[in-house]
Amino acid sequence: MRSISLYVAKDSLIHKIDPITKLIYTSVSVISPFIMPTILVASIFVLANLVILALGKVLKKVIPIISFVVLIIVTIFLIQGMFYGGNQTELFTIFSLTFYLEGLTYALRIALRAINILLTFSILILTAKPSELIESMVRRGLSPKIGYVMHSVLQIIPIMSSKASTIMDAQKSRGMETEGNLWVRMKAFIPLIGPLVMNSLVDTHQRSLALEVRSFSAETKKTFLNEEELPAGMKYLRILFVMILIAVIVWRISL
Amino acid sequence: MSKINIKNLSYQYSLGNERALKDISITINDGDFIGVIGANKAGKTTFCKALAGLVPHFYKGDFSGNIIIDDLNTKENSISNISLKVGLVFQDPFNQISGAKLTVYDEVAFGLENIGLERAKMIERIDYYLELMGITAQKNSNPFELSGGQMQRLAIASIMAREPNIFVLDEPTSQLDPQGSEEVFEAVDKLREKNLTVIMVSQKVEKIAKYANNILLLNQGKVIDFDKTEKVFSRDDLKEFGVRPPVYTEIAKELKLKNEQKNYPITKEELEKLVVNEYGQNFSE
Repeated sequence: MRSISLYVAKDSLIHKIDPITKLIYTSVSVISPFIMPTILVASIFVLANLVILALGKVLKKVIPIISFVVLIIVTIFLIQGMFYGGNQTELFTIFSLTFYLEGLTYALRIALRAINILLTFSILILTAKPSELIESMVRRGLSPKIGYVMHSVLQIIPIMSSKASTIMDAQKSRGMETEGNLWVRMKAFIPLIGPLVMNSLVDTHQRSLALEVRSFSAETKKTFLNEEELPAGMKYLRILFVMILIAVIVWRISL
Repeated sequence: MSKINIKNLSYQYSLGNERALKDISITINDGDFIGVIGANKAGKTTFCKALAGLVPHFYKGDFSGNIIIDDLNTKENSISNISLKVGLVFQDPFNQISGAKLTVYDEVAFGLENIGLERAKMIERIDYYLELMGITAQKNSNPFELSGGQMQRLAIASIMAREPNIFVLDEPTSQLDPQGSEEVFEAVDKLREKNLTVIMVSQKVEKIAKYANNILLLNQGKVIDFDKTEKVFSRDDLKEFGVRPPVYTEIAKELKLKNEQKNYPITKEELEKLVVNEYGQNFSE
């Protein structure tokens, strides 16, 4: 049973960075272009993210994620380019549709921020092991119950999907039509969802008992099997990221 | 080593129409291997849940009486506290996997992390119990990718690693194929080397007869008998309580062969010995 995690195991410099440093970078990279909403700041972070992804050998994996938002970005350019409230300077006209400099600049700013968020989270998701990331957060005070929910979802969704296939096969073997037009598929969905939900509830109940007898709710301070190793230089990297954020804030205030 | 004292234990589920356990009073001694048998709705699973404190802490209902393990009264302690003394393994191996860990090794660590065991001890115990349960080779596998027998052995290892004194198994082989069942019984047999108290519910009477030294026979929540394994399986009215005796005992009954204690044999070896004594070597072959 595979986990639904998007983590890509590679031997790279970026993979060696600990999850908390990545989490700090994620916060700095996402917040900074909003604090200092210039094209320059957003462009710097987009560029930095692309370099990081390339160093992490996961740049190719980002392409489908970016393609997913291309349509939305094109729409933003079309709408803002033509109808932005502050439009004054005509730039060009296509088929009697006039695009303005102010609108396109505004759209570019939004687009860069959106792409920046996607790229930043891609670094975190593709290069940080979810188990290590969640464990690091639990070590720093995240409730183990929330950590458990985050972690178990990654494993339990594929299991539910496998159970759904089993139920579907059972229903098919009893003569239920599951393939055909939309109406046939919708009708097949109802006999699937009932047993699936009931099974999942029973499983959850059973699993919660199994967790209880392994002291999941114990108030004792938890320990961890895996030692948290902070690779050399990570402390300075974290300080650098925080300083970048402070610099952006100071820049914004001084304007 | 722990002694269990059960006094006037009765329990009714909050949505139940009648009591699932009715006035149970027994004492289980250190190092005993108790087989719990009975028909459906005899109260076997509820009895296991009560030993582990799930009844009445997880399942609210009408609970009376006491279960005292050494000086710990299950009614007055949390499940977490009780679980340090009583380890419980359920029927379904699949639902005992926490879902929070990606490897077999980490899965065993889960219950140890929760009790704050220091790392060095944790590693020592995990290595030992994976080896004991014969799943060291799978230590880097995803727990959900194991076979049923391996998964149940992982569940046992996960509980065993917490080193409880009492080990309760509620039909751990009911969902396993013969190979998986055999693996689990062999694993439980290894626990006897550690002189643990084992309480095991199972419908596989031949296996229970082989391993248990005492049998608790339940029917509709009541204790019908709690005695030596041979004595309980020698009862003539066993089938009235939805339990059949081991096949070797049935053969002995047909042949009217009893041992020196005036009980029917319960294992193949015992039966063979009696047959040889009665009819000679040639008959046995």
